[in-house]
Amino acid sequence: MTTLTLDVRNATKRFGEGDAAVTAVRGVSLGVEPGEIVLIMGPSGSGKTTLLSMMGALLKPTAGSIHLDGTEISALPESRLPDIRLRQFGFVFQDFNLLSALTALENVAIVAELAGLDGAMAREKANSLLTELGLEARLDFLPEKLSGGEKQRVAIARALINDPTLILADEPTANLDSKIGHEIMRLLRRIAKEQGRSVVIVSHDQRIRDIADRVLWLEDGVFKDMVTMATDPVCGMAVERERTVSAKRDGETYWFCSRGCREEFNGTLAPDGQTADRQLTSLRRRATALLTRRPPRGQPSRYGD
Amino acid sequence: MSATLLLARRNLTRHRLRLAVSVGGVALALTLTLALDAIYAGVARQLTTYVDRAGADVWVAQAGVRNLHMVASWLPDSVTDEIRAVDGVSGVTPILYSTDSIAAGDERAIAYVIGLPAESAMGGPWDIVEGSADVAPGEIIVDRGFARRAGVSIGDTVTVLGGDAQIVGLSRGTASLVNSVAFVSFDSFRQLRGGAPVISFVLATVEPGASPRAVAAEIERRVSGVSVQSRADMAEAERRLVMDMSADVIAIMSVVGFIVGLAVVALTVYVATLARRREYGALKALGTPDHVLYRVVLIQSGLTVAAGFVVGLAVTGLLAVLVPRAGLDLELAITSASLVKVGLFAAIIASLAAFLPIRQIAGLDPALIFRKGAAA
Repeated sequence: MTTLTLDVRNATKRFGEGDAAVTAVRGVSLGVEPGEIVLIMGPSGSGKTTLLSMMGALLKPTAGSIHLDGTEISALPESRLPDIRLRQFGFVFQDFNLLSALTALENVAIVAELAGLDGAMAREKANSLLTELGLEARLDFLPEKLSGGEKQRVAIARALINDPTLILADEPTANLDSKIGHEIMRLLRRIAKEQGRSVVIVSHDQRIRDIADRVLWLEDGVFKDMVTMATDPVCGMAVERERTVSAKRDGETYWFCSRGCREEFNGTLAPDGQTADRQLTSLRRRATALLTRRPPRGQPSRYGD
Repeated sequence: MSATLLLARRNLTRHRLRLAVSVGGVALALTLTLALDAIYAGVARQLTTYVDRAGADVWVAQAGVRNLHMVASWLPDSVTDEIRAVDGVSGVTPILYSTDSIAAGDERAIAYVIGLPAESAMGGPWDIVEGSADVAPGEIIVDRGFARRAGVSIGDTVTVLGGDAQIVGLSRGTASLVNSVAFVSFDSFRQLRGGAPVISFVLATVEPGASPRAVAAEIERRVSGVSVQSRADMAEAERRLVMDMSADVIAIMSVVGFIVGLAVVALTVYVATLARRREYGALKALGTPDHVLYRVVLIQSGLTVAAGFVVGLAVTGLLAVLVPRAGLDLELAITSASLVKVGLFAAIIASLAAFLPIRQIAGLDPALIFRKGAAA
């Protein structure tokens, strides 16, 4: 039997007390195998961020447990969690969150140094990682001088520098254009597969579904069955067709994350027929075809939420 | 270089204008304190110059008189012989003393006026830059700074003690911010003061190997109606008097300097931390222990204050060189005690200034890093 890298067992997270209590995650279970890439999708407010925070030892579950490589990290005292995060997790953020005063090399090396690696060795390791990620010409650049894709590659190098067991990525393509976003995700997949690292990605981005071994849908704090998905043609957000607003145009149906997006969609169609046609064609291209989540390895989640 | 030092240094140098303002503010505040201390120490040193340089081991004054500044001391002529007869005394010189103004044209300045006996062994000027070191009746030796300001020189006449005196010598190192020292003949002084057979002080030297304090005690035991002190005790009494007179001002200005320095550093370190709140949140999320982040803030605060201290010291040192050259009778003496005091001030400022930013970091929830648009 394979030991799970990450094992989330009936995790619940409740914020507040009494009538004001809000349950963000309800009894979620999830197992991630070594080298597996899991993509968690879901609408805004579905509990993705809370779940990610719990998996990353940034939040403790109100009930249930979280195990990393067999250690129940949710039971560890608060004082031990920073060290766990530093050595066993790699984080990739939507906004990159690089330290603006440090160069690309220093941004990566400092995390290794904080984990106890000697300064020179940390720089050497960071140099090697960044070179591997194609940034050898950008080592001494400050983040402000890097493109979005380069920043995210630096962030990935930073996430990898301490040889983590699990990489957690929060909307890693949100601030990247389509091509670069896809490149970055393929890079992350290659690294995960080559180095046998598990990756959990939280994203709205439908385009990165193909790099995941498994795609899960989180809604109202629980993993749900497969639903039919569409892409909001205005904001690009993945939306659940059955639960959202739609509009028809020229015989085609479009789905939106909110009434605002629908109104904006309707408003973009100019009275000038030619312009309107061009815009519609463009929007049609942007709108992804119906998306049906595939049950990876035969089931939506290991514990069948 | 450690990761924390690197991060702190880079955080500081990333915004050079902010760093310059911060260091400048601290430097200004510490310069205020350092310069005031230096002025105070310089004035104290100048005020005791005459006591230190008069050549006496022991000073004998009217009972109850323990310093020169703003006092009158009158002793009968006869005590000079009584003191000379005390065991351990090797020489005595009686002097007359009064605080008076010297006037030359429109220039008028306060001076310790010393009446010197002819060919006195002690109590006279110790550094004559022009003219004679001896004063005959109707003559005076004045400080060269006063002479320059008044536009007078050797041979010119000034008014002192209600009479005229001709300048026969110019001395150096005999002026302070408060007053200068002028020397007239003993006989002129006595005549101008009505001719009473009195003296102000008796300056005494002690036998080689004798303790000035022991001899002073012996004089006080043997001669009635006198207060006797060693030179060191007399100078200390003079310094204490100056300190008593200016301690409040020095203390207030030191507190002002401290508060200004604290406010400047606290504000800039706080703003710098606030601007990087999200980065600190990211570092926390990545697993950086809180104490490491606190150290980064403390180092930033410490480096800012240290740079401000160095600049403040350099500015004060420059002032100490330039002020006397500007012709001012002001000496800035940077003492080790002042350096220790201001250094402690700086350390306290650095620690206190880091307090708020550290609290801010302590309150950061690393989980907020995943919230879009959240402050962390």
